[in-house]
Amino acid sequence: MNCENIREQLPECLAGRLTDKAREILIEHLETCSGCRAELAHLGIVWRGLEALKLADEPAPAMKERFQATLAAFEAGLEQGRQAAAAARVTALRQAPPRWAWQLAAGLAVLAIGLIAGRALAPRPAETSPEIAHLQGQVESLHQLVALSLLQQQSPASRLQGVTFAYQMTQPDPKVVQALLYAAGHDSNVNVRLSAVDALEKYVTDPDVRRALPATLAMQDSPLAQVALIDLVVKSKDRDCAPALRRLVSRPEADDAVRQRAQWAIAELGVKGESQ
Amino acid sequence: MEDEQIMRQVRDGEVNRLEVLFDRHHRALLHYFLHLTANRAESEDLVQEVFFRVLKYRRSYQTENTFRAWLFQIGRNAYLDHIGKRKNEVAWPAEAPEAASAEAAPDRLMEDKQETALLRQALAGLPPEKREVLVMSRFLELKYEEIAAALQCEVGTVKVRVYRALHELGDRFFALRGETLS
Repeated sequence: MNCENIREQLPECLAGRLTDKAREILIEHLETCSGCRAELAHLGIVWRGLEALKLADEPAPAMKERFQATLAAFEAGLEQGRQAAAAARVTALRQAPPRWAWQLAAGLAVLAIGLIAGRALAPRPAETSPEIAHLQGQVESLHQLVALSLLQQQSPASRLQGVTFAYQMTQPDPKVVQALLYAAGHDSNVNVRLSAVDALEKYVTDPDVRRALPATLAMQDSPLAQVALIDLVVKSKDRDCAPALRRLVSRPEADDAVRQRAQWAIAELGVKGESQ
Repeated sequence: MEDEQIMRQVRDGEVNRLEVLFDRHHRALLHYFLHLTANRAESEDLVQEVFFRVLKYRRSYQTENTFRAWLFQIGRNAYLDHIGKRKNEVAWPAEAPEAASAEAAPDRLMEDKQETALLRQALAGLPPEKREVLVMSRFLELKYEEIAAALQCEVGTVKVRVYRALHELGDRFFALRGETLS
């Protein structure tokens, strides 16, 4: 082992943290190297001298009290959150949607039954008849109408229902996709934003969605929604989103977990170049 | 029970267990910030901020590093946020904090207050990144693996940095004493 390697171990030696084996090698070297012995002696003076600069300040008892207060508040917040989530689940199960929504849903159900019965009873044509295609189109339109209407409601619960309707649609309608993108970026309720991001996953191949992702990510301020959007970007495999991810990584005010996730996403997208 | 086991409990929902970790580590964290800021009130605020961040980011705790390494990584980020910059360096107060007690100096050579003052002056003159590794290694007695995790670099890099920092500190100290070291 050369002098450079030995000298790099001197601080650990002075701190008493070398392994027995490493210490043996070091001592063996010191026996034959006066330069390293002198270095150890000088560093030893400084190392021991630093002991006098160690702080002996004891934390004030008030620090512990302040921490306990924070912890208690945090626990109370968690408990409140749990209760609110449970209440929201119960409400969502129990609360009847607005009457017009029931009427629309009933209409949809009747149409759906009609379609199924018609298809079951009628002689099976080689291809879908124009009438059935027309009816299916009407059902889809009603779905869109319900989704769009709900997404514009004042109540977050209604907007969440709207997102659910949008998610259940078989064919994405540009208006609904735009409404989802708007909800993902602008909705005042973070749960609605998160649900909208989840629903957009289904339409991630849609060029409109891919084009809008960087801007939606940039305007997002909720770490949870940011992480969900980053995951969506990764699913989209859209390398055009890399600059938006890089900007997020370099935003000093961004959440650490978000920046790490964005860093990970850049790697996942396989984008070469600077990622810091 | 080990820190890591307790932190896993915190991560999994038993947040009140963090009090044990606070008891174990808030003094070292306070000293770290006192070395960085030389300001008691700011340092106490930063300690609170760090433990709040531990609560907030508890789910991101990974067991591959020690809890202490993770804690100081959070502490370093909190300090960098506090001083409002995101450069990979730590600013240093113009004057290093006074040691609260000189009784802890065991070495005969350094008992002289004047020499201690010279060493403090030499330490204050070190580049920030060198002072930081010395504070972590010498004062907080963090292992190299923990320092590497906190600074997000390799262990080998820490080893070299600590040696170079100590060597340069020696150069400065002996120069102030009117001696020269190779």
